[in-house]
Amino acid sequence: MTHPSESILALYAGGDLGWLARRRAERHLARCSECRSQVQAFMSVTDGLIQWNELPAIPWSRVAAEMRANIRLGLAAGECVRSEPLAGPLAWMSNVRTLAACASVIAVVTAGTFLQRPSPPSPPVAARTGAVLRATVDGIELNQGGQTLSLLHARTGEVTYSVGAQGSMRAGYVDSDTGNVTINDVYVQ
Amino acid sequence: MSSKVAVLIVTGFAALCAQETPLENSVKINLSPDSPLTLISANLGESHVSQRGSAVVLDLDMALTLHNASMNRVRGVTLLVAAQEVTPGGRASVAVPSLDVAPNQNFPVRINLRLLRPAQMSGGPLVQVSLDGVLFQDYSFYGPNRLDSRRTMTAWEMEAQRDRKYFKSILAAHGLEGLKHAMLETLSRQAERPRLDVQVSRGSPVSSAALPEHSVRFAFLHFPGAPVEPVEGWAEIAGNEARNPRIDVRNLSPRQVRYVEIGWIVTDRQGNQFMAASVPASGPGFNLKAGSTSRVLQDTALRFSKSGGGAVSIAGMTGFVGQVEFADGKLWIPEREALANAQLLGIVAPSPEEQRLMDLYRKKGPKALADELHKF
Repeated sequence: MTHPSESILALYAGGDLGWLARRRAERHLARCSECRSQVQAFMSVTDGLIQWNELPAIPWSRVAAEMRANIRLGLAAGECVRSEPLAGPLAWMSNVRTLAACASVIAVVTAGTFLQRPSPPSPPVAARTGAVLRATVDGIELNQGGQTLSLLHARTGEVTYSVGAQGSMRAGYVDSDTGNVTINDVYVQ
Repeated sequence: MSSKVAVLIVTGFAALCAQETPLENSVKINLSPDSPLTLISANLGESHVSQRGSAVVLDLDMALTLHNASMNRVRGVTLLVAAQEVTPGGRASVAVPSLDVAPNQNFPVRINLRLLRPAQMSGGPLVQVSLDGVLFQDYSFYGPNRLDSRRTMTAWEMEAQRDRKYFKSILAAHGLEGLKHAMLETLSRQAERPRLDVQVSRGSPVSSAALPEHSVRFAFLHFPGAPVEPVEGWAEIAGNEARNPRIDVRNLSPRQVRYVEIGWIVTDRQGNQFMAASVPASGPGFNLKAGSTSRVLQDTALRFSKSGGGAVSIAGMTGFVGQVEFADGKLWIPEREALANAQLLGIVAPSPEEQRLMDLYRKKGPKALADELHKF
């Protein structure tokens, strides 16, 4: 079974996951007691912090309800002050406004499409800066100009790290699902 | 009103798509048609792409099922994992040694990988997985061997045979109780093994601070029967950084040597010893004919810190020959007794097979371990 990462569980415990990720986490938690207990642990830590007044407890649903109410109020106020539909010789101005709104939407879509295009290949930042390898809590990370490649080890017990002076780092562990010893290497050239 | 709802739904859906995108098109698995391994399935599990500010994070949790289509038992596999677009100067590999896969059997390989890259980047597969090599029971090998996986996996297999032989001899001489005692000793040694956090960079110091450098000379351990001996060596030390190790080695054997690996131990001011790195030498510039001397040299900077944080002040360095490959592809590794006599078992990492046997003992006990040792 593949377990969600600790950060996913922590975000879930804090109610900060997106809808899809939350659904996925819920599906996993329904059948994994280990992760459920971890979520409980995260929740208890958050509760503890709130109790100690180290973090203010923010009533998000109340804040959201207030924001919704304010928006409704704004819309209602807009309806109140809106003038009657123009008639007669000034009616054409309404069409101009509609045209301007449409033109704005088209401009936004065009700009978005333009910005989303793949940019032409440029020399990677990584090539101009040094690459550094290091062991992290959950794997080996190669950082090159701010871009990273990490080989992670699945949830497992003992991990042994070793370093090659030619520019490599190795993590050896027994995969808890397959029972096979697995060796991850990351090389910097 | 209904048009407003429609706009909201479309906007929400677009936001959702921007947050989580499937990864299928970002991974490519290449196995050549004549490969002795075939791909049965590639399950991407909960792999996903997510946006963090102006960067994109790809979490790849891939379970491959491979099939041994050869007539030989597979003992090890190495897969090359490349993400050239993200880290053009780096690559990675996932290897599974200590296998015993019969012909026509399937076996799993898992790859867990994370990439962090700018959001604006051209399309195409971000991660390419290919076979670098397969080692069979008779030490024959298949694969492009770009990562020297033939030598690496052969060394692991030799270490596996060596360590299995050691535990088998204990089982034969002292039975299950003796095996249990030996395994507890091994587990305790590994638990107490001092560990260092090491950062590695090529060609430049890891830290930008200019610290005063001084040369520190290596002391060497000599193993009886080793085909190569270290003669002398130095590295530049600046604070907790060691740079540019260079070690002269002499070939004592009558055969030409094409690869030498020196184990590098650092000693701190309190007298604690840590396995820092291995210093390999190979390639066209390295030629060690019978009786000749050559230099093992690496343009690398290593920065050491203790596992719990805090810099390590390097007081001394020790080297030993950890591996030798002859021109005909045959390998030499130290005997277990030699490592024990030199007090190195508590410093160097255990072999992959020893790690697997320890895990088996921990999870299933001495009887299961004994059954495993009886297999081959």
